[in-house]
Amino acid sequence: MKIHMALFLLDKLVYVDRLSLTMITLVVFIGLCVGSFAYRYLKGDTQYWPFFIRLAVLIGSVMIMVSADHLLLLLVTWCLSNGLLVRLMIHKSGWKAAKASGLLATKNFVWGAICVASALIVFYEATGETSIQALVQQNTLSPILLIALGLLLIGVMTQSAIWPFHRWLLSSLNSPTPVSAIMHAGLINGGGFLLVRFAPLYLQSPALLTILVVIGFCTALLGTLWKLMQSDVKRMLACSTMGQMGFMFVQCGLGLFPAAVAHLVWHGMFKAYLFLSSGSAAKEKRVDQGYPPSPVALFCALVCGLTGSFSFAVSSGKTWASGDSTLVLIVVAFLTGSQFALPLLRSKPMRTLPLALIGTGLFGVVYGGSVQLIAWFMAPMGLLQPQPLNGFHIAGILALTLAWLSRLFLPTSQKGASTPAWMLKGYVTALNASQPHPDTVTTHRNHYHYQ
Amino acid sequence: MDRAIVDITVLTEETSLNLPLAQNLSTVPVSDLVAQSFKTIAPFWPLKNLIAVNPLQGFEDVPFEEALPLGRAYFQQATLPEPMEAINRQTIKWLQAFFDDGQATLPMPMRQDGFYTAWRQLVIHDASLHENDEQKREWLTTLPQNPVQAIEQYLFRTGIAPAEQVSFLTLLLTTLPGWASYIRYRTDWAGLDANHPYPVNQIEYLAVRLIITRLLWPDAKALLSWHQAVLEQNRSVPDVLEKIQQAEDSYRLPLLEQLAAQPLTEARTPDAQLVFCIDVRSEPFRRALEATGDYQTLGFAGFFGVPVQVTDTVTGETHASCPVLLTPQHTVYESPCCSPAEGEHDRRAYGRQTKLKQLYQSLKYSFTTPFALVESLGLASGTWMGLRSLAPGLASWLKHSVSQSIRKPMAVTTSLDTLPLADQCAYAEGALRLMGLTHHLAPLVVFCGHGSTTQNNAYATALDCGACGGRHGAPNARILAGLLNTTEVRTHLRQKGISIPDTTRFIAAEHNTTTDDVTLFDDNASDVCKKLTNDLAKARQANSMERLKQMQKSADSSVGAPQTLLRSQDWAQVRPEWGLARNAAFIVGPRDLTAALNLQGRTFLHSYDYTQDSTASSLTTILTAPMVVAEWINTQYLFSTLDNVAFGGGSKITQNITGKIGIIQGNASDLMTGLPLQSVYASDELAYHQPQRLMTVVYAPRPLIDTVIQAQPVLQKLFGNAWVQLACIEPEERQTYLLTRDLTWQKAI
Repeated sequence: MKIHMALFLLDKLVYVDRLSLTMITLVVFIGLCVGSFAYRYLKGDTQYWPFFIRLAVLIGSVMIMVSADHLLLLLVTWCLSNGLLVRLMIHKSGWKAAKASGLLATKNFVWGAICVASALIVFYEATGETSIQALVQQNTLSPILLIALGLLLIGVMTQSAIWPFHRWLLSSLNSPTPVSAIMHAGLINGGGFLLVRFAPLYLQSPALLTILVVIGFCTALLGTLWKLMQSDVKRMLACSTMGQMGFMFVQCGLGLFPAAVAHLVWHGMFKAYLFLSSGSAAKEKRVDQGYPPSPVALFCALVCGLTGSFSFAVSSGKTWASGDSTLVLIVVAFLTGSQFALPLLRSKPMRTLPLALIGTGLFGVVYGGSVQLIAWFMAPMGLLQPQPLNGFHIAGILALTLAWLSRLFLPTSQKGASTPAWMLKGYVTALNASQPHPDTVTTHRNHYHYQ
Repeated sequence: MDRAIVDITVLTEETSLNLPLAQNLSTVPVSDLVAQSFKTIAPFWPLKNLIAVNPLQGFEDVPFEEALPLGRAYFQQATLPEPMEAINRQTIKWLQAFFDDGQATLPMPMRQDGFYTAWRQLVIHDASLHENDEQKREWLTTLPQNPVQAIEQYLFRTGIAPAEQVSFLTLLLTTLPGWASYIRYRTDWAGLDANHPYPVNQIEYLAVRLIITRLLWPDAKALLSWHQAVLEQNRSVPDVLEKIQQAEDSYRLPLLEQLAAQPLTEARTPDAQLVFCIDVRSEPFRRALEATGDYQTLGFAGFFGVPVQVTDTVTGETHASCPVLLTPQHTVYESPCCSPAEGEHDRRAYGRQTKLKQLYQSLKYSFTTPFALVESLGLASGTWMGLRSLAPGLASWLKHSVSQSIRKPMAVTTSLDTLPLADQCAYAEGALRLMGLTHHLAPLVVFCGHGSTTQNNAYATALDCGACGGRHGAPNARILAGLLNTTEVRTHLRQKGISIPDTTRFIAAEHNTTTDDVTLFDDNASDVCKKLTNDLAKARQANSMERLKQMQKSADSSVGAPQTLLRSQDWAQVRPEWGLARNAAFIVGPRDLTAALNLQGRTFLHSYDYTQDSTASSLTTILTAPMVVAEWINTQYLFSTLDNVAFGGGSKITQNITGKIGIIQGNASDLMTGLPLQSVYASDELAYHQPQRLMTVVYAPRPLIDTVIQAQPVLQKLFGNAWVQLACIEPEERQTYLLTRDLTWQKAI
């Protein structure tokens, strides 16, 4: 009888679907990697065992969060996970900059939690449902539900460091390296997860989707610009994550939620790896890319880009010349393919063109295949719903393309040559905008404490 | 704040009138003031070649016990006057941007025009500094073009008395000491960085620092009174001195007694002679190797006396491979061995390797393309991360196999063509005489450089050979071996009275201090070589075991070498080896003095035979070059242990690399000079290194040593101010003496 009750209760509280399974796999895998890394990396640290206890509870909490069906369980684990993350971030409370980072993140998460909580309350008030699964099956969106979705969206933005809620992330690097890894591969994805969880509702509101696309593009471009400007490895990685989260938002806004999940998963692994290996940053030597490319090389690269985007479309089961929002991804594949081909075409472009074509084609297959792997797994959830193209999509495509071209063609500053004032001003403005919160900078060496 | 605005207005008017301000100042030129203020700051070498330095180098002119309170007052204060925090924040922001050596894809514009020029044009737009205040902005737009003028104006306007000007400038440096140290390096010790594409000088930095100070803290003069108060509070000698002296007392006399008791043996010819670096890590390995067979080992500075810079003909990279106290005199070229076809093969392989990097970087460091890059590489990098974390041994094997298939490691030859014959002879003779290897040469003589292998370690070069400028020592070993194998050099040496038997062959080797593996650079597999290779493997196993006991609680005797190898390959390992921790003494004399003793890897060993040094020229070199470097190392370990925040790098777990040049903590901070916590501490609380000053022991008659000290002010400074304790073992009577502060000898026991 008791078992019966427990099962009944569990059924009420938890719902494990393919999204939960994907997230659980990611978090457990990252947890294992980070845990075994930290097992050696933190040797001798006074917070050694507390660290592992917190990490284990955090992973458990995230696992429950992604499997939660009851609104309250979702909210509780959401708050618990973020609370644990903040504690892990601070690590040693004697260092006041680390504490300030924690405080900043806490403020952000509290606002986020308030938004999420209000959204969930509104959902409950409006529908009387406590089950997320029941909730997302609503097939009409009343204005009150729209408000709830809007509130939820703000919560999501705080969690995923979407502009203008990015400051805490750029100020979070006082954390131990393994904590940054778990943050950028795990907790930051909480926002994306929530979007996908409520995707059936968001898909009913083209306006909300368009908002997602617009703020996504803004965040993606800003994050990437700041990333390219940073001179320390960890802040560069943080700005990069911000840009990547923006792109994930765009994918959601395009109605391509499985692609967004693919992005979360693969970006998480990539970024966790980069954080853990950040000690090697000084050894990495940059290879001169020889920009700007010659017109012939660029033309050949664009041809390769077409091939790449085509093989991407085929391998990810998309139509190449689609008239819907999938076009954005095709264009990204096209630009990336072209960029991929450029180094191959640097000398004697016509001679190396066949090789570059094959290379780019293969790259497209790998890219499309990675996306398709997740999309295929998520397919039964029916969340792949491309939207009709609109002006914002086109504007986004243009912005992505122009930004890419600017990297190839904007001149670098030369000795004796004057740089236009707008560039100087732009540089300083962006540099200032990407600084961490003042309180989180260790302004005096002896303010730093490792105990 | 009001006063600031008024001040700035006045200043603006004066600037536009272009008053000759200098005459109102003290007669000392600004450049002298600046240079004087920078004397307090020790240089900081960047991560590509971390060199150990005494963080209190600026106070070596005063006795150690007086330098400690000064160091506390200047560098160890728990807090700064509050307005300095904002000033530091702004300074750090601009220094991070300017001193970027290849991290930023879109770097600070105009840097090639120099620090001050570039900054002056950018700062106009810095709203976080002028806060959109018209007057401040106006003032910034009218900053003088010449940084000297900027400094003169500041010192004049703020009414800092001429006598206090140096003090004030010094405080602006010591309140952000790490970054000032990097500027000291770039301006006074730059070596091959002297022609850095983004130039900076000390005046420029202080001008920028003053201008920021002017904007954010008009009453910055108060820094002087703050510092006076701090000095007053820190007059007493810190308790830590007592602890240092206790450690020294319990170590020094027993060691001297042991050394003095060792008998010398008759000179004879062993199976092979191996020359190792003086580095403290050589001692236990030499001991382990000597136990395996008839080998004689010697100690010599790991650059083997050849002051060169080395250019890799495949990658085109050049580095100085000699102590930073010297300027490279020649460039030597290293190329893949041995046929042109093989060379071409390697060049192509390197090209492939570079192309792969270029592909990855071109996608990573651009707009838009990183979004697709992470999706394409996610699975691969996830797998790789899992392997490296969960199975580091397997990952290392895989990495090795893959990188071999892209570019096979090739044997390397070093060309000697660029060294004139006269220099070749001079270096060969100098090296042999200095180490006393002028007679009884064995059929095989090995010059063994050293280097370390670590993964994911920002401090990797701190474990490499300091005598080679923080690099691996193999090139220098190859050069000296090559020189001594040439007929012309041998003929010359014979004329000079050093006769090398025709049967004697010199070969180079490299000792990997992380794994204790020794690679012999020799393709001639003679019997002696084969036996030596076997014995080196035995020594490796033995020394790995000894070192593992110092690194982990339980060490299984069967897995010594594999365990150290694993540590060298593990990307999560923060203590791959102990480096030069626990270093305590520098012993100058024949190996006989130390061969029978277990010195626990705490001593630098320099071979020296006073009977061949009647003019004391060898001893002069040893005491003014290798010993000074040993003092730098010793004091770096000492101070990094005493206060790992003020003088060390802090914990590795929150470190961040800025501009590929140095370590900062977390989001942004002062440049963290010195050794990381994990290099000197076994845990957060338990120090592994024993803080004590260097004791130099010389096996030679006192009058000979006296002639050296009398001629060398640097030695008078180090011995007289007790930065180093000099001891002497009188060869005839075997009596030990200590040099007192007033440079006279006193019986030790």
